[in-house]
Amino acid sequence: MIEVRLHGRGGQGAVTANEILAEAAYYEGKYAQAIPMYGTERRGAPVTAYLRLDEVRVRERDLVHEPDIVVVLDPAIAQRPAILEGLKEGGLVIANYPHPPELYPLGGNFMVSTVDATAIALETLKRPITNTAILGAFSKVTGLVKVESIEKAILHRFPGPLGEMNVNAVRRAYERTPMPIQARGEVRKDEEGPLSGSGYGLIRSAAGWRTFRPVWDLDKCTGCRICWIFCPDNAIGWAEEKPTVDYRKCKGCGICVNECPTKAIEFKREGI
Amino acid sequence: MEHKSFEVMTGNKACAWGVKLSRVQVASIYPVTPQTTIGEYIAEFIANGELKCELVNAEGELATQAIVKAASRVGARTFVCTSGPGQLYMHHPMHGTSSGRLPVVMATVHRGNKGMQPDHTDLMSQLWTGWIQWYCENNQEVLDSVIMAYRTAEDKRVRLPIAIGYDGYILSYTSEPVEIPDQASVDEFLPPYEPIPNILPDKWAEAQRGRGAGMMEGFMSGGGDPQAAWRIHHEAILNSKEVIKEVNEEFGKRFGRKYGNGLVEEYRTDDAEAVVVAMGTIASTARVAIDRMRSEGKPVGLVKLKTFVPFPTEDFQELGKRVRAIGMIDRNVCLGLGGAGFGELRRALYDLDERPKVLGFYAGLAGAEVRVRDIEKMAEKTLKAARGEKVDPIVEWAKLGGGG
Amino acid sequence: MSERITIKQVPLEELVITPGSACQGCGAALAARLAFKALGPNTIRHSIPACPDNVTRTPTSGGEFEAGGDHVTGTWRALKALGREDVQVVGFYGDGGVYDIGFQSISGAAIRNENVFIICKNNEAYMNTGGQVSGATPQFAMTTTTPVGPMSRGKPHSRKNTPMIFAMHGVPYVATASVAFPTDLIAKVQYGKGIRGFKFLDILSPCPTGWRFDPSKTIEVARLAVQTGFWPLYEIIDGRKFRLNYKPRELKPVAEYLKLQGRFRHLSEQEIEEIQRSVTEYWERLLKLDEIGEILI
Repeated sequence: MIEVRLHGRGGQGAVTANEILAEAAYYEGKYAQAIPMYGTERRGAPVTAYLRLDEVRVRERDLVHEPDIVVVLDPAIAQRPAILEGLKEGGLVIANYPHPPELYPLGGNFMVSTVDATAIALETLKRPITNTAILGAFSKVTGLVKVESIEKAILHRFPGPLGEMNVNAVRRAYERTPMPIQARGEVRKDEEGPLSGSGYGLIRSAAGWRTFRPVWDLDKCTGCRICWIFCPDNAIGWAEEKPTVDYRKCKGCGICVNECPTKAIEFKREGI
Repeated sequence: MEHKSFEVMTGNKACAWGVKLSRVQVASIYPVTPQTTIGEYIAEFIANGELKCELVNAEGELATQAIVKAASRVGARTFVCTSGPGQLYMHHPMHGTSSGRLPVVMATVHRGNKGMQPDHTDLMSQLWTGWIQWYCENNQEVLDSVIMAYRTAEDKRVRLPIAIGYDGYILSYTSEPVEIPDQASVDEFLPPYEPIPNILPDKWAEAQRGRGAGMMEGFMSGGGDPQAAWRIHHEAILNSKEVIKEVNEEFGKRFGRKYGNGLVEEYRTDDAEAVVVAMGTIASTARVAIDRMRSEGKPVGLVKLKTFVPFPTEDFQELGKRVRAIGMIDRNVCLGLGGAGFGELRRALYDLDERPKVLGFYAGLAGAEVRVRDIEKMAEKTLKAARGEKVDPIVEWAKLGGGG
Repeated sequence: MSERITIKQVPLEELVITPGSACQGCGAALAARLAFKALGPNTIRHSIPACPDNVTRTPTSGGEFEAGGDHVTGTWRALKALGREDVQVVGFYGDGGVYDIGFQSISGAAIRNENVFIICKNNEAYMNTGGQVSGATPQFAMTTTTPVGPMSRGKPHSRKNTPMIFAMHGVPYVATASVAFPTDLIAKVQYGKGIRGFKFLDILSPCPTGWRFDPSKTIEVARLAVQTGFWPLYEIIDGRKFRLNYKPRELKPVAEYLKLQGRFRHLSEQEIEEIQRSVTEYWERLLKLDEIGEILI
């Protein structure tokens, strides 16, 4: 039996990716079990999902605690040591990360491959929904499920142009993903909060929720307070007639960018 | 001898008197027979200036419970009452009240769920809501229980809501003399209620230190152990037994009346070979049956079960060592499972090395009249079992009506 | 009636504690931030099951979904009994809790004229459970329980006119607001706060996740809802005195609002026209009320 854990954020489609993988495996005569993390996940909040693949019916009903493979859909989460928790010795990490596996920042006794799934998603879907691209990488690196089966499962779920766009994302990722190498990064502890939450109450930081970050050009700012008043997350403060920003609170929704009357705010892709 | 004030009153008026003497600050009511007149009496007390209380005529029992729950959280002493179908409709917020550890006191004037006549299925159907449950046998006990309930529920070692059950019609509309305790004594017996935590904005920060910013009810608490919310609640109810006993003793000292040990009351069980166990007004009638049989030399006794939740397991285990058979009279049936009392009693006795026989009788459901002769027959059968004679069936629907 | 304020008169003090768990671009989170600025700290907030908008510094008391009106009633009556009538009692609830399952309880609180403020963060569906249809969902909107298919065109019925229904209880204050008009929203909360009795404010709070638009467009969508007449801003005193707070010379076509949202993507030209007709017709009725200044029934 192969056990997989997927990490992503609400809205990136980790749960859907998991179900597509299960369906694709089923086309190839395998039994699969796709488990979403229980709870109420929000768009942008970290989420976890689990997958088991086997030749016989899967009977375990607990979550996956010692995965063979970890798949990460989000480049910020991909840098969190917490994703390695329980990963088997010599296991595999497939990460959405904009640099080659040689530059992957985490280390330990595991293999790693990376693909810039966010870039592929922006090219093909025009939105940072990275779930289908990462599946192309999964097929390429593991060989556990054929890319044709993944495409078939995607088209079954999303018939028409949407499915075609996603198939396109899978193919590009399949082509661009290198074979895994021994991880070379740093071995360190995770000091941030949990990788999935209850869905209510306060969180430690929203920084990782962003694909893009708002950046102010204060020369263009007229001090109108529009960005300040419309921020749902109170990330924008107001001092000496100018905005201040707390990136720990900013979820990267882009309302301020969209509303600024003088276009003084630029939306820049988060650098990793 | 202290001054005693008696008045002939119905069970519902006795209940309202308990509310008045306890200086309830917020009450919420909704009409459903046979509890409706409690609210009318309270409204009258308020209208006449005899009681200062916010009375909310709500839009249903779900509302009455939710209203007193919120008021209790802010720090008011609260009262609510209901019957039968209203009790069922109230179910959801009852969980919130108990999970919030709020000392609401409720009167449940029993009305079964098949027709309008009394049985205990209304309150028994709330066994899973985490409330303490008391059952009363006369109007005096109703009044006294309301006062004792506030003292018990508000005790910082308890902080749980208490439901006081008494049989509809049989007590609610029946008049008998009831002694009204004097207000000054009640005030001394019942100190003011202080909420934990205090949620007034100026008290809030301190109360919430270390508890997180948002406050939801029990289901949100428990930290790392998801089961803790249930475990803590369960243990709190079990631990309330000592306080219930203590309050009963103190009430007895001050007012000259008490109700067994607060959990159970044994009646003529000395040297008894067999006892019957009864709740509510059946326990009252059973006293007569036991007296008659004792006068005929039959070694039978009665245990009145007042506190059903938490179940007086230890008291029954102790009794079980002294008697050879126990007949449980259930004015309820959990459909497909059986009588609630019968099941609990057997559960309590299972760990004894030598167990008495336990017989079950369904009696008084849907308002069926339970007469003295009916109870004599149940006690006779239990005595037979105690003496080693074969009895069949072990559990029966009592043939009622007092004849043959 | 509320008095107009400028953006510079909006209190700088924040009552919300962030970051919270709301989605990116959550309209309800903004509604909470703005409303609690005006309510201030001497407030007991009540919550019922709903999306997590924003945690506030106020005491917060949770309760049953179906009993929102009762939670605030109990709190207010206890404050009265304890002599603490200075404290504001607020129910900050979603549209499911106000329009549907808790409607009876809030109607009860309204008709008893309890001294409470019910604020609805209205995102027009059950978003906390994944976007099911509610009484606040507009006609034709696609939700997970009114999907679009050969046999279905989204929600078959129009939404419940809840603000008007509460106004007809004869309560002191009912108003609508939108997160795209924050000064209007805050002025209304400030005005309501000063009135003793039942207050109701219905805040249109777009949901990027459920309405299916990019999170950066929350305000754009909320603004167009008002500019097209789809969500008129008005206030009603004592169930009688009426004022429209936003009256453009000409409404924008409703299609501009609908086309921004995935939940209306399936609409045919004919359906858009149908919506336009009903919006225009209702708007004209409101204009008449505004002209008279009263609801004449």
